[in-house]
Amino acid sequence: MAKRKKLKCPGCGSEMNFHAEKVDYSQALADPQSMDPEFGGTLEEFHTCPSCKLTVERPATD
Amino acid sequence: MDFPTAAPLFIPVILGTPRRGRRSEHVANFVLSRVAALSGVETELFDVRRMALPTNDAGEQIKDATFSAAMMRADALVIVAPEYNHGYPGMLKHVLDSNLKEYIHKAVGIVGVSAGPWGGARVIDNLLPVMRELGLVTIFWDGNFPNVQKIFDKDTGALLEPAHVRRLQKFLNELVWMAKVLRYGRENVAIE
Repeated sequence: MAKRKKLKCPGCGSEMNFHAEKVDYSQALADPQSMDPEFGGTLEEFHTCPSCKLTVERPATD
Repeated sequence: MDFPTAAPLFIPVILGTPRRGRRSEHVANFVLSRVAALSGVETELFDVRRMALPTNDAGEQIKDATFSAAMMRADALVIVAPEYNHGYPGMLKHVLDSNLKEYIHKAVGIVGVSAGPWGGARVIDNLLPVMRELGLVTIFWDGNFPNVQKIFDKDTGALLEPAHVRRLQKFLNELVWMAKVLRYGRENVAIE
């Protein structure tokens, strides 16, 4: 599998580490367009910054 | 192997009931003192009574900024939860549900409190699936404080049963180990 491009930390600009994915059902209720039909909810990614410890959540990219 | 965790771990303690006359406060203060005594660990008490979140909404809409910032900074949590009719306090669940990304891949240990002889075993079991859904990683040690009205001085909150010191230390040893491993994982181990 191709390596993903690292997200830049919005807090300090360091490269973040992508370490988790989770289905968010309430987000899909609020925004039906975001629902991934194969999961029945919005698939979210979680990235943590090794420098400033910030974790960010964003819709999955695949 | 020593993990490169130069920065201190941050392990806040959550006191999970707002009720008047709560004996869990003695437990939470005792746990806080033991966490504070750990080398390389910082802590702080979060009391659900003081958060006063609105109860007519949930999630991101009602976040308490101070609590969310602490959860973001945290490497692990200790939840002190009394058992109410075999379940957890509603206000504890309401507060926990106000965050999500802040918890992902962080360690959690649960300390159960009861007036009866089981030490909150059922509230701990009932919280486990909630922890999992919030993205937290549970440890296999529990804290159990049965007959809480007998094991702390009612007025001073002083611990009257010293065996709890050693029991809680084992719980904290496991929690710190998990916190270090998960911090390393969050920062260095990627999903391919």
